[in-house]
Amino acid sequence: MAIITISRGSYSKGREVAEKVAQRMGYQVLSRDVLLEASEQFHIPEVKLVRAIHDAPSVLERFTHGKYCYLTFIRAALAERAVQDNLVYHGLAGHLLLKGVPHVLKVRIIADLEARVAAEMKRENLSQGQARALLLKDDAERRKWTQSLYGVDPWDASLYDLVIHVDQLTVDDAVDFIVQAAGKECFKSTPEAQQKIQDMALACRVKAALAEDDCVDLAVTSEFGNVLVYTKQDDRRAHRLEEKLKPLAKRLPEINHLEVHTGQPFPPEAC
Amino acid sequence: MPLIIVSSDNFKQGDEIGQKVAGVLGYRYVGRELLTWVASENQVSEEDLARALDDPPGLLARRARRQRMLGYIEAACLNVLLDDNVVCHGLAAHLYVRAVSHALKVRIINEPEQRAEELSQAEGISLDKARKQVLRQTKDERRWSEEAYSLDQTDASLYDLVISLGTLELDKAVEIISDTVSYRKFQPMTYSRKLMQDKALAAGVRLKLMEQFPDIRVEANDGTVVAYIQSLKKDQRKKQEMVRQIAGELPGVRHVEVHIIRDLVGQAAQSSR
Repeated sequence: MAIITISRGSYSKGREVAEKVAQRMGYQVLSRDVLLEASEQFHIPEVKLVRAIHDAPSVLERFTHGKYCYLTFIRAALAERAVQDNLVYHGLAGHLLLKGVPHVLKVRIIADLEARVAAEMKRENLSQGQARALLLKDDAERRKWTQSLYGVDPWDASLYDLVIHVDQLTVDDAVDFIVQAAGKECFKSTPEAQQKIQDMALACRVKAALAEDDCVDLAVTSEFGNVLVYTKQDDRRAHRLEEKLKPLAKRLPEINHLEVHTGQPFPPEAC
Repeated sequence: MPLIIVSSDNFKQGDEIGQKVAGVLGYRYVGRELLTWVASENQVSEEDLARALDDPPGLLARRARRQRMLGYIEAACLNVLLDDNVVCHGLAAHLYVRAVSHALKVRIINEPEQRAEELSQAEGISLDKARKQVLRQTKDERRWSEEAYSLDQTDASLYDLVISLGTLELDKAVEIISDTVSYRKFQPMTYSRKLMQDKALAAGVRLKLMEQFPDIRVEANDGTVVAYIQSLKKDQRKKQEMVRQIAGELPGVRHVEVHIIRDLVGQAAQSSR
């Protein structure tokens, strides 16, 4: 069984594709619900999480770490759902939030701007100019968001396994392709892949718990429950971090061992 | 039956996929072999034609020559694509066969990290150096298509489908492409065939006039040819007549319209004399 992430722009029929894929494969479909779950789990108003996943961080937010914390919570909620497998996630940055998980099929759905403008005009009762301006602004915001947080352009095709242009190809054709690709051996969940996603979920949980405790700017990895926390802070502050981690280790039974590493570069696979 | 146009960031892979798809569907495969015929037909070297497709943009002086070489390739390729059941790769057709509904355009890509690892192993260079080379290759690829056709060939929206060979295997890509052409929307229609014929005619006219008018732009619609050329005001009549005469002799051309784009640089140079 697989995890499928579908990246899409507004009005590009990505939601329709995701829902049909989930229906055909008997998978759960997840999008904004992940924000609701994060909102309930970490007691953050949903509107703040929506803003965190939509608007690019402002200069001030780069210092206050508000967006960092919200994204950590969203990623933790998504990782919890991914552990259950058989999932279709459509929304912003699924392929980046689940980075490092081997059995994720990363798909992007694109559509012609004119078709998107027409769809928005019809749905929102806007003029062509208004609809176009709104879509272009939304696209620019999404690109800026991904670039500022992950340093990549979401329109770069090399981030995905499959990019499908819904124009000549219909929604049903796109569904066919995705189902066909998801059936491939490399997207099936193996015990190793399952272990990896469990480790990622645990690392995300630890990071979210630390973010709740105002510990930011750190990276967390986990391997079979052995958790490593990386920080750029000096030894004195790292010691304080270790103190904060002790009750956490007791609260989360999945943790076998906890270590804090200072002065080391963050590993690329870290949460 | 449809046309399949394959573009790839790795020539070998694109070629292999194109040939395999053609084999599965029983289509004709058109690749770089066409350059031999183009070279003999236009008395140019095959090497120059290949270089026009592969070399990154360089000096301004070489640009006009490259555009001419690309003009030869485009005209020949479009003539081949007038037939049905063709798989085409390596001739930049994805940049000039646009809006033709019976042409399935597919791009095959590799993850940059994977490309860097392969390059590092093949050339015995460090991974960092290989990463830089991959970045430069992508940038050159983009610059090449922007300069030659004013399009970014790495932009996914130019294609119907982009398949990454990072996780999907080459044979799976072949399977996906082969399945896609059976879709009703890729079947040739009267309108899409006509569009293809118009493109081939426009390319043929451009080819004939490229020597005298290197910056010429040609459009065609049902035998009516519209040519856009640069000219000084004083040469306007003479040039218009020349274009009408040369283009009018070509088979399929019924009417020729010539539009003048003011040669502002030439005009300025002349007035300063």
